[in-house]
Amino acid sequence: MQGRTTAFLLAVLFILHVFMLGKASIEKRPLPSDSGGGFVFPSPVLKITSFEFKGIVSDLLFIKALIFMGSTYERKEETLMKPEKWQWFARVLAASTDLDPYFVDPYLLANAHMTWEGGMIRETNTLLEKGTQYRDWDWMLPFFAGFNNFFFLHDNAKAAELLMTASQRPGPSEQLVSLAVKLAYKEKMTENAILFLEAIEKKTDDERLKKEYETRVRALQARLLLERSVSAYKDKFKRSPDSLQRMIEKGIIKEIPRDPYGGKFSIAPDGQIICSSDYLLMPGQR
Amino acid sequence: MSMLWPIARITFKEGTRNRSFYGISLIALIMMGAAFLISGMVMRDVGKVAVDMALSTVSFAGLLLVLFVGIDLMAKDLDKRTIYMVLARPISRQQYIVGKFVGISLLIVVTVFLLSVFAAISISTIKWANPDYFPRFSWGPVFVAEAFIALSLSLLSALSFLFASFASTSFITLILTIISYIIGQSMSTVKTLVENPQTAGITVSPVTVKLVQVAYYLFPNLSLFDIKTQAAHGLAIPMTYIIWTLCYGIVYICLVIVFAAFLFRKKEFP
Repeated sequence: MQGRTTAFLLAVLFILHVFMLGKASIEKRPLPSDSGGGFVFPSPVLKITSFEFKGIVSDLLFIKALIFMGSTYERKEETLMKPEKWQWFARVLAASTDLDPYFVDPYLLANAHMTWEGGMIRETNTLLEKGTQYRDWDWMLPFFAGFNNFFFLHDNAKAAELLMTASQRPGPSEQLVSLAVKLAYKEKMTENAILFLEAIEKKTDDERLKKEYETRVRALQARLLLERSVSAYKDKFKRSPDSLQRMIEKGIIKEIPRDPYGGKFSIAPDGQIICSSDYLLMPGQR
Repeated sequence: MSMLWPIARITFKEGTRNRSFYGISLIALIMMGAAFLISGMVMRDVGKVAVDMALSTVSFAGLLLVLFVGIDLMAKDLDKRTIYMVLARPISRQQYIVGKFVGISLLIVVTVFLLSVFAAISISTIKWANPDYFPRFSWGPVFVAEAFIALSLSLLSALSFLFASFASTSFITLILTIISYIIGQSMSTVKTLVENPQTAGITVSPVTVKLVQVAYYLFPNLSLFDIKTQAAHGLAIPMTYIIWTLCYGIVYICLVIVFAAFLFRKKEFP
């Protein structure tokens, strides 16, 4: 009899427990939540207080940011998110990567949301550059940072530098190589482009590709020679040469170098060296 | 020397019979289960999170073992006065301390080994379900990390022996061991911070810097044994680092146990 009474009491208490849990949870919903606006401890404090569990704390901070971003999608408010919420999001991801700078997911989450939706390009790039420094085998992070510089900040020089870093790491496609060269070339960074292509050529096993890279290097070397000659001309005569022939006449160069793609070099009105085969430098367009 | 092994063996057996031991195993199993849930929430670094969870579980369960089972095994003899029966036999106090430490260290090593087996099962299962997300994973750094966890726990246990050799109750030993763990884990970061306060935008008095520097050489640097990040990302661990850290751990344990044995010889029992 006593057993039955206990079982009955337990059943009633359990039903009450479920009922109260539901009620309390509903009442809690409108209360202010710390998610997306709460305080994030500075990284030195987090590093000290997470002892030997920095990896797990880093994981949990990332998941907190991920759940927050997911919940904004559920509420369809991502475009209306206040700047302080974006700041909180950025701080959580920065703290997560300070605890474990090799953890790739916070970088990817930052790049996916903080750029297009949050407009925090420089903050995103600071994070991506940290990831690039630590994850020195990963081509994706410098690639994303390069894209952000190119697309959002219109800084082609920085974009080219980052894409070169990405291309020298294992994994990226040839398309990325061509993009890096294109950006580098447009920013008069021919010398860097040559170094970069030479490094890629050394890494390439495929004989056909090796020859392709060698040709590109020769084309860029010819261009570099002409660019340096134009600089020398400017130093001597305090103005740009109006043609390549003029530089031969003035004794700056002996002859116009040959373009391995068969194009013809000339000088643009702004003093830049151009070539009729410029488009051939880009793979996939031949 | 011949008395060491029986004491070590009895201590080990007592440890395995301790009920806290089963509670700790249960916590470890629950945490391993949680690894499946958490690793499913990340986008790409599934392998890193799986290894993080597995190694942190080994560490955390081992820490509970040292704090609750290890200290209890040492303190029980003192609290229940059973130590009189042991010391009435032809055995020195130093032999008693060293024998007890060997027993508890053995318990730590066996426990870490068993937890590591569970960790390996957990990692392997997650790896089997997500083979594309373990690009840099390798078992070598994981095993080294687990061995270092065992060494670090033995070192902490040695410290608890030192505190037990002069503290009046096991509660004080527990508190002092926890404080040592906290200092040992964070001292390296604190030292870097107070020596370069400008990096965090804070100001630190020269007295604080000196105090931290003194504490740095007194307390063990437990963060040296923490290579979970390297294991989680499959980063290279130089052999010289492994050897020097191993030597450091062994020397510190010897130092602490010799000092504990010295103090224990002088201890007056009520």
